[in-house]
Amino acid sequence: MKIFFVTDLHGSEICWKKFLNAGSFYGADVVILGGDVTGKAMVPIVQRANGTWEASLQDHRDTLESEDAIVEFEKRVMNRGYYPIRVSDQEYVAMQEDEVLVDKRFKEVMLDGTERWIAMAEEKLAGTGIRVIACPANDDMFEIDDLLSGAQVVETGDEEHPIQLGEFTMVSMGWTNPTPWHTFREAEEPDLAVRIDRALEGATDPETTIFNFHAPPYGSKLDNAPALNPDLTYVSGGQAIRPVGSTSVHDSIKRYQPLLSLHGHIHESKGATRIGKTLALNPGSSYEEGILQAAVVNIDEKKRKVKNYQLVNG
Amino acid sequence: MAAVGEAPTLFLRKATGLVKGWSKFDAFLYSFMSVNFVTLGLFFSLSVIGYVPTGQVLPALLISGAFITCLVVTYAGLISIMPRAGGDYVWQSRVLGGGIAFVLSVTGWWFILWYWTPIYASILNVEVLQPLAAFLGMDGLLTFLGKDIGLFTICVVTALLAGYLVSLGMEGYAKIQKYCFYLGIGALIVVFVVMLFGSRSGFENAFNQEATNLFGTTGNAYKDTIAFAGGHAALPAKIGLTPFLGDSLLIIPFLCFWILWPNWGSTLYGEVRGASDFKRVMSGMMWGLWVTIAIAVVFLLLASKFFGWDFFNAGNVNFINYFYAYTDSPGPTPIWTYPPLLVGMFFHNSLIGALLILAFGAWFLGWAGTLFLSSTRVIFAAAFDRILPEKVADVSERRHVPVWALVLMLVPSLVVSAFYAFTDTFKTLILDATLVIAVTFFGTAIAAVLLPWRKKRLYENSAMARYKVAGIPLISITGAITALFLGYNLYKWLWPPFDEGNLYAINNSDSLLFMGAMYLLALVIYVVAKVVRKNQGIDLSAIHKEIPVE
Repeated sequence: MKIFFVTDLHGSEICWKKFLNAGSFYGADVVILGGDVTGKAMVPIVQRANGTWEASLQDHRDTLESEDAIVEFEKRVMNRGYYPIRVSDQEYVAMQEDEVLVDKRFKEVMLDGTERWIAMAEEKLAGTGIRVIACPANDDMFEIDDLLSGAQVVETGDEEHPIQLGEFTMVSMGWTNPTPWHTFREAEEPDLAVRIDRALEGATDPETTIFNFHAPPYGSKLDNAPALNPDLTYVSGGQAIRPVGSTSVHDSIKRYQPLLSLHGHIHESKGATRIGKTLALNPGSSYEEGILQAAVVNIDEKKRKVKNYQLVNG
Repeated sequence: MAAVGEAPTLFLRKATGLVKGWSKFDAFLYSFMSVNFVTLGLFFSLSVIGYVPTGQVLPALLISGAFITCLVVTYAGLISIMPRAGGDYVWQSRVLGGGIAFVLSVTGWWFILWYWTPIYASILNVEVLQPLAAFLGMDGLLTFLGKDIGLFTICVVTALLAGYLVSLGMEGYAKIQKYCFYLGIGALIVVFVVMLFGSRSGFENAFNQEATNLFGTTGNAYKDTIAFAGGHAALPAKIGLTPFLGDSLLIIPFLCFWILWPNWGSTLYGEVRGASDFKRVMSGMMWGLWVTIAIAVVFLLLASKFFGWDFFNAGNVNFINYFYAYTDSPGPTPIWTYPPLLVGMFFHNSLIGALLILAFGAWFLGWAGTLFLSSTRVIFAAAFDRILPEKVADVSERRHVPVWALVLMLVPSLVVSAFYAFTDTFKTLILDATLVIAVTFFGTAIAAVLLPWRKKRLYENSAMARYKVAGIPLISITGAITALFLGYNLYKWLWPPFDEGNLYAINNSDSLLFMGAMYLLALVIYVVAKVVRKNQGIDLSAIHKEIPVE
């Protein structure tokens, strides 16, 4: 069985399209998006009083004079993982002043975006035999769970819903240890440990179990991130790196020893490591650049072993 | 509060990785410490200008700065197009292919660092330990440090120190670097003030007197130093700007040892970035480069005024000639006339002199800790790409120390250090240490030139796509200029052969054998990895193949 695993696409449309093509490209049986499906930013395209549209992307101000130009701009925005929104001058000013309006709009675009992605997957992969799995994680609002679980071709899983991959069981955990951003699915380590234990209740055989835990294990070098000051600026200009993974995840891998442990969350910490017998992988993420970082894992189903693996930049 | 008509800005939600950027000062600081004026500049680049008596260092410095500015723009551009990606290896592998990238990166960021270990040790020896021993009257120690076994001992200490700092992680060390910066700058200001207000005759008298006290010299040590270097006729006449080109250009390949590295350790993390981040990364490196050049210009002018241009160059030439075994005697003073040592002598007080040397030691301490850092990163990257065995990327469970990566650095470093300390010729290959990294940078510059065409989507998706000159991508232009500059230096380093008068002492059989062995080793590792992995069902060329979008 060949698994193609990616994580932290964060709304990047180009990465999602590559993801859907990855099964045939790499000859994978199943393509998995481990977590963090949705984007982090909305880019307003503001209609001025004179009818022209204005927007800024990557610190560059654009005046968009035709529908084609707007559509082209929207495409660029979506490829970076942001959501383009068309608003009037007044709407834009109102959103600047009212967080509730921003949250409401965010919810709309994230749900719309997820629905669109699901539709693309249905169109692309229905009937191909390639399974596609997308799981929510800490940066995803809870509302997308229902969309994912209601999809036809796209499968999803969480701590209460393990996924069967042939003989193997993939247990997913989108919750992470606390981050400085206080995102949707965070829990203190003791609570996270309880969640993990609960998720593992149904998994009886470590040799046929795969973890899809969004948070990487603490101190595994899959979890190195630049240290931040309390105001979210870098310590020492980004030179200071520290492990920020989860101790509960680390302990659970060490204790349970699954065949394979797949992680994400820390985009800059691509890597592979062994924790006991378990192979743990974090393919990292460069979603904004449109690079699909991934792990291709070949599993020998008879021997119940990882035959080989490769971290790729598709 | 936003107003109607303002440039629209994006809305962000609370999500992992959204940081508020970093201070420009931090970006400057790490670049500034990389083009280290004291350790790299004084130790070698500014010590060898006496070998080009018909050239002028000031124009060479300004010209180098102008070209290295293009290198800075190129690297800042690449960082902004592919941030967090791991530097030269990833940029080159995406544009030029995995094999070339591996060979150029492991030689430039790993193998050649084995040779940098004894260089770092030599700097520690002649800039900190020997002057300190001299001021403290520790004659036995001074004699030991001057021997081959003394140098080798310092090599071992340096390698272990660098390994220890890597094992500690960068967070603590980054703080140390900041303190070192302030201490080092403070010490430099003291030296500059003394050089500005002190007289040359006062210095001459102080030097003669203290040379007798510290080293037991007799007669006029100041004049003897100049005479030992060949006298006025053999040394640069005076500091100036002419010739601006001509023989002044011959100094540039020496300067590269010091100022080619403002991009060292540049990082860009976080998300939702734009052109301002490119400018911030670039300006950090730019300030690091040009503040260093400004300091060097001020220093050189003050050195000419206070020490005398003849004496400054003579002391350096005597040191280099003896250090590299071109002469049997060090000249009137048994140790290098290191400028802070000379200024310390001006105080006629050993304690003040020792304190000054210790404060200048901050330039070393704030710089030396990164010796193995880049190497461990490249080793990890190669292991993740399955070129090296998975094992080499292991970290110890308790202390998170990259044990095998450190072994792969430490053991060869000590072997190379032994060659460096116990043979005469190996020391003279010092510019190999620059050449091999320059070749890596050359590969990256070529990758930058081609990137807008070879990786069109990636380029167009970045803030760099906005920067063009006459319709040509800026990164291609600066990449081409950087490649030209590096090409010039490579040509000068390698041609003509040493026995036909090559100034830089590295186009000889020992040097070519040493560098050739490194490139061969890299190539062999890559080919073996490719074959072994193929047998395991892993195609190394698949690592960077782009998945179709439509």
